[in-house]
Amino acid sequence: MTNSKNFRLLVAIFGALAIISTVRLWTDQDGLTSSGTIGTALRLTVPILLAGMAGLWAERCGVLNIGIEGMMIFGTWAGAWGAWQFGPWVGLLFAILGGMFGGLVHSIATVRFNIDQVISGVVINLFAFFGVRYLSELVYVGKKGGGISQSPPQKWALPRFDLPILSGGEIAGWKSPDFLGWLELRRWFIIGDLGGIGRGLTHNISWATVIALVVVPVSTWVLWRTRFGLRLRSSGESPVAAESLGVDVIRLRYYGLLISGGLAGLAGGTLSIVASSYYRQGQTAGRGFIGLATMIFGNWRPSGIMTGAMLFGYAEGIKLVASDSITALFLFIAAISGVFLIYAIIRRKRIQVLIALVAFCLSALAYQTVDTVPESLTQSLPYVVTLIVLATANQRLRPPAMAGVPFRRGEPH
Amino acid sequence: MRSGSVKPNQKSTIDKSPVVELANISKSFPGVVANRDISMRIERATIHAIVGENGAGKSTLMKILYGLHQPDSGTISINGVLTQFKSPSEAIAAGIGMVHQHFMLADNLTILENIILGYEPTSYGVLSLSDARKRVKELASSIGVDLDPDLPISELGVGQRQRVEILKVLFRGADILVLDEPTAVLVPQEVDELFVNLRKLVANGTTILFISHKLDEVLSISDEITVIRQGSTVATVAPNAVDRLKLAELMVGSDLPGHGERATKIGKNIQLSVRDLTVIVKNHKNPVQNVSFDIFESEILGIVGVDGNGQFELCEALLGLVDIQGAVEIGGIDASNLNVRERLDQGLAYIPFDRHREGLMLSASLWENALLGHEVSLSRGPMIDFDAAKKSCREIVEQFGVTTPNELVPAFVLSGGNQQKLVVGRNLAKAPKVLVAAHPTRGIDVGAQAAVWEEIRRSRDAGMSVLLVSADLEEVLGLSDRILVMFDGKISAELDPKKATPQILGKYMTGAQ
Repeated sequence: MTNSKNFRLLVAIFGALAIISTVRLWTDQDGLTSSGTIGTALRLTVPILLAGMAGLWAERCGVLNIGIEGMMIFGTWAGAWGAWQFGPWVGLLFAILGGMFGGLVHSIATVRFNIDQVISGVVINLFAFFGVRYLSELVYVGKKGGGISQSPPQKWALPRFDLPILSGGEIAGWKSPDFLGWLELRRWFIIGDLGGIGRGLTHNISWATVIALVVVPVSTWVLWRTRFGLRLRSSGESPVAAESLGVDVIRLRYYGLLISGGLAGLAGGTLSIVASSYYRQGQTAGRGFIGLATMIFGNWRPSGIMTGAMLFGYAEGIKLVASDSITALFLFIAAISGVFLIYAIIRRKRIQVLIALVAFCLSALAYQTVDTVPESLTQSLPYVVTLIVLATANQRLRPPAMAGVPFRRGEPH
Repeated sequence: MRSGSVKPNQKSTIDKSPVVELANISKSFPGVVANRDISMRIERATIHAIVGENGAGKSTLMKILYGLHQPDSGTISINGVLTQFKSPSEAIAAGIGMVHQHFMLADNLTILENIILGYEPTSYGVLSLSDARKRVKELASSIGVDLDPDLPISELGVGQRQRVEILKVLFRGADILVLDEPTAVLVPQEVDELFVNLRKLVANGTTILFISHKLDEVLSISDEITVIRQGSTVATVAPNAVDRLKLAELMVGSDLPGHGERATKIGKNIQLSVRDLTVIVKNHKNPVQNVSFDIFESEILGIVGVDGNGQFELCEALLGLVDIQGAVEIGGIDASNLNVRERLDQGLAYIPFDRHREGLMLSASLWENALLGHEVSLSRGPMIDFDAAKKSCREIVEQFGVTTPNELVPAFVLSGGNQQKLVVGRNLAKAPKVLVAAHPTRGIDVGAQAAVWEEIRRSRDAGMSVLLVSADLEEVLGLSDRILVMFDGKISAELDPKKATPQILGKYMTGAQ
C-alpha cells in the first residue's frame, strides 16, 4: 500500500514538473523554475515554516497562539540587537530568547491565570509592536544608522555555502563544478527545471536555513516518538485524561509555549539577521499569521506545514524575483485545473468538476487579460488559500481536540 | 523503567486482609460538605460496591482515594501502610487504577498511545513502541479482548472504549481497580461480558471498587456493599442480606413512592403521527430511515436503543432542528414545515438528552432558566415581566419539588436531580399535548427519579402523549405502553412492555435479533 502511495506521489510530482516545464518553454518565462526564484522562495519559506511550527507546538499542547506575530517581533528585535552587539550566531540565540519571552508571557496569562487564549495572543501582538518601539527609543536612537524604527546595521553576516559538485561548492580550496547550474542553463524539458530547482535548494544556502529545515523532522520525531511528545500531545487532545494518568498538563503547556515562542523568535531572527542585516519596524509583515494559516493548511502536521510554507514561499518568491512570470503561473494553474477537470469528469464527481472548471476558466481568463498582478492580491494569497482549505477540507482536518480550551487542575468534569 | 505487566497472584489461598482502609475521611468544598467522617475497609480480591444517590459523595470519595482531591481530615491505608496521595501518579504507583464514568480517552490518539500515556516504556525518553504494542496485545488477549492497538479511539464503540480504559489501568500493574458507574453506557449483554472479565480479575487477586446506582447489578456482582447517603456511610452489608428495595431505602433514607397505576385509559385521538421520517445528513448515512409511528392520547411510547442508533436525531427531527423527509403531525396538524417555535406552539415539549448542554444555562438564575421557551407569555411587549417570570418559576419549584433556597440562585448550585426537576417542570407547566422526553432521569438519584416519573404519569393521565427515549431499560419497561427498538436508524421491533425483559430488549438493541 505504501508503495503504491509513493508511486502516486512520484507521478504527481513529475506530472506537475512536466506541466510547469511545458508552461516555461511555451511562455519563455525561465523565472518559473530558475535557481534564483527557488532560492528566494526557500529563504521566504523559512520564517513562515518556523512560524507554522511555532503554531504547531502551541496547539499540540492545547493552547491557541495568536501571538506568534508578536513573538516574532520580539525575535526580530532581540536578534538584531544580539547580532549588532555580538555577531549573528549570538543574535540568533537572542532571537530565540526574545520569542521565548513572548511565549512565557502567553503561558503565564493563559495557563497560570486562564486568561482567554485569543485575547492574550492579541495583547502580545500589540504589546510586542509598541514594546520594541520603546526599546528602540532607549537603545537604537542616536546610534549610527539606528532610529526609533530601525536598528544599526550588523557588521557580520551568517556564513553561506554551496553544495560541492552539485552547485559549485568548495572542497578544501578546490572549486568543484556547478553541475546543477550547468543543467539549468541547458533549459531542457524537465531536466532544466530540475537543475534550476535543485540549484536553488543547494546554492548560497545560509546555515540558518539548514537549522530551520531540521526543525521539521526533529519536531516530528519528538512529538510522535518520545515520551515528552506523547504527553505534550495528550495535553492538547484530552488534558483531563492526561491529568488522570499523572501527566503534568500545566507544566507541559508551559514547555510547549516556550518551544512555540522560541521557534517564533527564531523565525523573527531569520528576518532581521539572515534575510536582512538590521531590525526594521514591521519586518514581520504578518508572517506570524501566515504561519498560523500554514498550520491549518498543513492539518497540524509538520510535513503539511512544510508543504504549505513552501507553497506560500514560492508564491512570494516568484513575485519578488520574477514578477513577469506571475502571468505564466496563471497558465500553470489553468493547466493543473484542466488535469483535475479531466480526472473529476472520469470519476464523475460533480462538485469537483465544477470547482475545477471554475478554477480553469478563471486562471485561463487571468492569463489572457492580466498583465501585472497587484501586490495586495498576491499578499492575500495565503489567506485565500487557507479559507478555501478550511471551507472544502473541513471534514478531514484534525486539530488537537482541546486546543483553546482552558484547563484547571483537579476541576470536576 | 517499571514493569507494567500484570503479575496475577496465583496462590490458591488468597489473602483476605484489608487492602484499602479509609478512616474518618472528611472533605468539604465551598458551601458543600461532600464527605463526612467516612470509614470503610475493603478486603483483598473482592468486589466492593459503593452505592448512593447522585451527589451523595461517592465520586468525591473515589477522587480522594485516587489522589485527585486531598481530604480535609482522615487517613488512607493501602495494604496496612498509612499513605497520602498528593496526585494520581502517587495513587497509580500504589497500585490503584481508576476507570472513570466518562471515559478519559483522547479521541485522536491511538489505542496504544492512550494506554501507555503517563506510563510509557522508554529508553532514554524515546518510546519503545514495539515493546508496548506487544505487551498491550498480551494483556488484551489475557482478558479475552481483540483490539488493533494502532486504531484511533475515535473509531471505537462504547464497549471497546471501556475495555481500553480497563487495559489502561492493568497496563500500570494496578491491583486495586476503581470502576465509576461502569455499566451506565453498556447494554445488558455488554454488562454480562464486563462482569465475566471482572470476576476473572478478582480470581487473579485484583480488588475492585464498584461504584453504581444500578442496584440489581450491584446485588449480582459484589461481595460487599457500602451505602453512602449525604456524604456519610449508612451501612455496609452483604448482598445476600438485603434486597433491592431495602438497598434503595438505605440510599434514599425513606420509603420510596410506589409505582403508580394508570388512572385513565389510552385515548382514541392520535396526538403525534410520524410517517416515513428520514433525517438527511449530507455526505453521511442518514441517521434515521423511514421511521413511522403514532402516539395516542394518554399513551407513553418508549424508544430504546444503544446510543447513536438514531434516537437523538429522531428527537431533533420531531423538534424541527434538522432537515427531514416524511411527515410529522402534531395534534392532527401537519407540522412538517413548521419551525421549532411553531411546533412548540402546537403543543410540543422537549426534555433534552443532556440537561447541561441543551436544557439549562448553568450560570444563569433559576427564574431565567424557567423563563426559557416561555418568553412570549411572560413578557410585556419587548420587555420581560420580571415579577411574572419569578412567580412562574416559584410555581414550578413548588409544584415539582425542586430543592433550592430561592429562585434567584444560579442553576449550577442545584444537584443534578433538582436541575432535572426544573427542566421537567418547565416543560410540563404549559400542559403540552406531546412530550418528547429524552433520558428524563439520566444520572439522577432514585428519589428524584421517582418524582420525575410521577410527574410524567400525572400529565399522561391528564391526556398528554409521551415519546420516551431512554437507555434505562427498567424505566422504559416500567413507564411505557408500547416499546419500539431502534437499531441502525430504523425501528427494528415493536414490543409489549408486559412481555419484554431487559435481555430481550438488549438482543434487539444490538441487532442480534
